[in-house]
This record gives sequence, structure tokens and C-alpha cells, in this order.
Amino acid sequence: MIEVQEITRTFAGRGGLLRRPGVRALRGVSLTIPDRGAVCLIGESGCGKTTLGRILCGLEDFDGGDLVVDGQSLAALKAKDRARYFRRIQLIHQDPYSALNPTRTIRQILDDPLALRARQLGQDGAWVAGRRDELLGLVGLDPAYVLPRYPHMLSGGMRQRVVIARALTVDPEVLVADEAVSMIDVSLRLGILQLLRDLRDQVGVAVLFITHDVATARYVGTGGELHVIYRGTVIERGTTDTVIQHPVHPYTQCLLSAIPVLRGIEEPGAARIVPTAPLDDRQEPSGCLFQPRCPLAAPECAERQPPLSQLGGTVQEHACLFPEDRPVVAVPAAAAAD
Amino acid sequence: MVRVPRSSRSGGADTVAAAPAGITVGQPDADARLSGPAAVSVRDLTVAFSTPEGLLPAVSHVSLDLDRGQITGLVGESGSGKSTLALTLLNAVPQPGRVTSGAVLIDGLGDVLGLTRRNLRRARGASIGYVFQASQNSLNPLKQVGKQLLDLGRSHGESDLRGLLRRARTLLDDMGMDANRVLASFQHELSGGMRQRVGIVFALVLNAHVLILDEPTTALDMLTQASVLEIVRKVHAEHHLTTLVISHDVGVIGDLAQRIAVMYAGRIVEEGPTATVLADPRHPYTRGLLTAMPRITGDVALARPLPGRPPDLTSIPRQGCVFRERCPLAMDICAAAEPPVTKTEGGERRFACYAAAGETP
Repeated sequence: MIEVQEITRTFAGRGGLLRRPGVRALRGVSLTIPDRGAVCLIGESGCGKTTLGRILCGLEDFDGGDLVVDGQSLAALKAKDRARYFRRIQLIHQDPYSALNPTRTIRQILDDPLALRARQLGQDGAWVAGRRDELLGLVGLDPAYVLPRYPHMLSGGMRQRVVIARALTVDPEVLVADEAVSMIDVSLRLGILQLLRDLRDQVGVAVLFITHDVATARYVGTGGELHVIYRGTVIERGTTDTVIQHPVHPYTQCLLSAIPVLRGIEEPGAARIVPTAPLDDRQEPSGCLFQPRCPLAAPECAERQPPLSQLGGTVQEHACLFPEDRPVVAVPAAAAAD
Repeated sequence: MVRVPRSSRSGGADTVAAAPAGITVGQPDADARLSGPAAVSVRDLTVAFSTPEGLLPAVSHVSLDLDRGQITGLVGESGSGKSTLALTLLNAVPQPGRVTSGAVLIDGLGDVLGLTRRNLRRARGASIGYVFQASQNSLNPLKQVGKQLLDLGRSHGESDLRGLLRRARTLLDDMGMDANRVLASFQHELSGGMRQRVGIVFALVLNAHVLILDEPTTALDMLTQASVLEIVRKVHAEHHLTTLVISHDVGVIGDLAQRIAVMYAGRIVEEGPTATVLADPRHPYTRGLLTAMPRITGDVALARPLPGRPPDLTSIPRQGCVFRERCPLAMDICAAAEPPVTKTEGGERRFACYAAAGETP
């Protein structure tokens, strides 16, 4: 289990004396990734979801709050002592075309981390070869085909599978997948998403899935939790199904309203809403952060920002003064005709 | 802005080049359509690239009509030839590619492939507006948007640069942007969605009547994507355009386009009105794409990946149906010859599949 406790991160503004104020990428985010669990983070570009993923992988520092891995608080440790905890959390990059060294064969790409792991576990070369084939089998690749090849000889989908196999070489507890399928051919995407789902059962790894695409989050996050992030804070969270089918926060509702509706098989939701303005992260509004763009904002919204709660008796937690379940999600065309 | 109606050209009278044996090419029968003659008509187009392995077709005997005033969506995976097809509409296929057969007839221009360099230069921009795939990164980083706009006007011999700026301002206003701020901005001062909108302004400012958008929403998040789609819909209607949207995302096309053409390995395997094609896909590839798409409605557990991988230029089967290696319905006949185009619903729909046409093993 991995716990994120009130993590904050501010990126300093540049420019000396006339410097612009820093960007508050994360304003205190807490979440728990249970063993074998699935947690999805959704939000628009610049909401802080990628920063959170990078912090979890140790690629980025955090300013405040704590990260608890295996019961160990990382804030209490020096940077060099954190490394062995970050082994437990591995990142699946967005771009499988640049995540693999083009001058090395897949065999070399997988053998290096495996050799290291073998030394840690006191294993020998035979173990490395066996484990390598086992991992490739897990991700659905034929070792005889891929091992002698270089990354450019493989399709995007196969490369992403190699990236996942490489992440699994160090026996992680959590895979952080940041937009992991956005650069993969559409007909191959579902295969990768399915793999991420299956790995939870097969190797007992948890998945933190970061995306702006709600439909893929719905697929990977079935049975898990969905967190909607806006400007560095979680504004709604609950089980994936509840948040997608019965969103109560207007921002979540805007995100769900923006999903393209397929003509002929879907009908748009009856209460679709659109933000009144684009995101302006230079502005620090009073009260609710979403209130300047919220089509449903009331005067009270500029006065205070409610904390995450189940205000109004909702199933999920949200941070809105006036939560209301609105039908914003598209419905199947057949159901709409009834 | 007042638009001068273009002279209409009768569609459907042109002959189709003879196709190789075993391949039936769809006869363009624009007359059957309710919406009038096509504004753009691609006839039996083949574009081949010379490679170490010989001349390989990226687009093979494609016929496609863009109906006037409609949004047509072209959906396909990377390597399906969709961008090559779109570039052919500008007669701008990059080397080492070349058009080996076919014609691209555009309303008021004739066959674009036969235009002289000078007329072609005039046609690009003045008749056909193209928003490039990387339009978010295609602006000059060293010049303000306004200056680039003036460059565009000058290079097209536009004498009324004030009028050009005025049109650009109107377009920017229509898209909900602060025109003065955008024109005085450098590329890095604009967000991804704003750059995309600037790309659309550049494509339309010379009064093009055909608009081609190549992957207009790739790399944009959901909210920005929705607003760009809304803007495309709006400018399309207000400027009476004929629009072609190219995307790998069935969702984008399914939301935006009135007609959809599904491209695979250089062929259009299915085409028809979006709503009927999506509700009742006939070609196994179209069906497979829809099933392989995580959706927001319906049972998420029913999604199934499409087996295999999309072919690239060198691995497209040379004989028979190009999809048969990934097809759940493949039969012996599929390996023998490329399936002919079958038309249904009074010529409104077409697909190229033996199984869908009722052939049994």
C-alpha cells in the first residue's frame, strides 16, 4: 500500500526581481493506492496529475506533505535513502518511441535491470534468462521474436509492452501509467489497457492510471477509485462507476460533457455543461478555484471553498457547495429512444 | 463577411480510370446523394512511394466524394494513408511519393493534379485551406502571429492586407479569442487550443471554401478538444465550407462528421453516413475498431482488442483483401482477390468485404 498525504508542490516563477508568482502544481493531494488496486487520476492539461505521478516515481521532489511506502515515511528520509523505496513504484512513459534506447536490443534493455535484481536477490544468470522470458510472456510478447530486435523494429504497441516488461523487472508494487496509450495506434490501445488490468491479478501490482480520457479511465479503473484533479486539488473522488455515472461536481460534469458523442449509437446527456472560460492559472480566485469558470457558480462560491466531503449526502466525496447529480454523460441511443 | 457563391460543377460525369483486373472501383454516383454534387471528388487515386523494395502504394485506387456543405470524416490508423490522401488534395505529396493514377476534382478548379505551379500556389489557401497535423507547432517561433499572417497575404499576392487583417480579426472574434492579443502574440504565448484555432484562421483567411483538418485535436485535452470541435462546427456552418476532418479517433469523427470514410492500408474499406455506419458497421475492420474502443456508455467489459497490428507500407498484403490477416471472418476467397465495392441503401453506403456482401466460405 502506498499513501500520499497532503502532498504539495510549487514551481518557482522565473525572472529575478520581477519574477512571476510560482505555479502551485499540487495544493495538498491525498490518496491511497491499495495493493492490487486501480486508482485513476483525470483532469485537464496543467491540473497537476503528471506532477503527482512524477513525485510518486521519485522524479520530482515534493515541498510539503508525505509519501508513505511500505509504512516508511519518505519525508523523513534523505534523498539518497529514498531510492530503494522508489523501486517499488515504476513509471510507464507516455511515449514508447522515446522511452527505449534505440541503440540497444530488447534483450539488453531487459537484461540490465534484471542482472541488478538478480544480484539483490542472490540469483544467477539462468534466473535472469528465465525471468526475462517469463516477463515477456506476461506482457504478451514472443521472446524469440523480440529479444534480438531493436526498438525501431517493433510497433508502438509492442514497444509499450516492452516498457511494461522492463518496469516489472524490479518487482514493483505500483505501476504509474501516465497517458500510457495516447501515442499508440487505436486498434492496439485496448490490448495495452487490458494488459494493465490483467497484471493486477497476475502479478499483484497496483496501477495508478493518469489520463484526460475518461473512457480509458473507466476501462482500466473498473472496480477502483477515480480522482478528479483541478488545479492541484482533488475536487471529486469515489468509485470509478459512481463518479462517471453520477458526477456531482460541475468540473467533473464539464469533463464528462466534453467526451465526443458517437452519432447513431449514443445520445448526448440531457444536462451537458461547458466551462464559461478557458483555464487561466495566473489567476488565484477567492473561494472555489473553479468558480470563475463554473457555469453554475453562485455568489457563495467566491466566498469559501468547501473541503472534500459528502456534503448533501452523496456517495462520493466532492468539494462543491451545491452538489447535484446531473445527466451529462452520453447514453446509448437505444435507451434514449425508450 | 459576404461569400460569393462558387460556380457549381456537375459531378458524376467523369469517367473512372480502368482498374486492374479483380478490383472493382466504386463508381462515383454523386447524383444519388440528396445534398447535391460533390465539392471535391477524388477518383481512383493511387499514390505510390518509391522504396528500396520498389514502388509501393500508400493510397490505392481510392475514390471519395466530399459533398458540398458537409463535414466528412476520414478515420484510420497511422500508416493507413489518410494524411497522404489529404495532401493529395493540395497536390502536395512529399517526395519520394507520387500520384500514379487518378484525379482530384475540386469545384471551380478542375483537376488539382493537372494545375500549373502558379495556379496550384494560388489554389492553396484561396480555394483549399489546410490545417496541418502539427499546426500547434507549425507557427514561426520568432514572429508574432500578425506578422506571419501578413507574410501569408504577401506570398499569395494579396493586395488588400488591411482587408486580410480585418478578416482574421473577425475569424478570431468568432472563435472567442481576443484578436488584438493573439495577433501580437508569439507562438509560445498561446495555449495548444489557441494555436489550433490560429491554424484554422490561417487556413480560412484567404477565403478557402474547402477546409481540410489533419488530426485537429491530437495532443489536446478533453475540454480543449470539445471547444475546438465546436469551433470547427461553427466556422463550417458560417462560412458554408466543405470540410474534411482526418483523425485516428473514431470518437472525434463520430461526433463531428456527417459522413465517415474508414481507411485501412491505403483503401477506403467502408463509407457512408456516420450515424448508420456506426450503428451498423458492415466491414469487419470498422466493427473491430468500434469494439476496441473503451466507451463511456454500455458494458465496458464487452470491449475487445483487435488482433494483429496495422500494416505499414512494406507489409500491406499485395494480393487479396488487405485486412484478411486480422479479420475474424476471413475466407479462402479473401486471399485470392481484393473484394469489390458493394453499395447499399441507394448508393449511400459502400464497403469492400466479401463476407459483408454475403459471400460464404
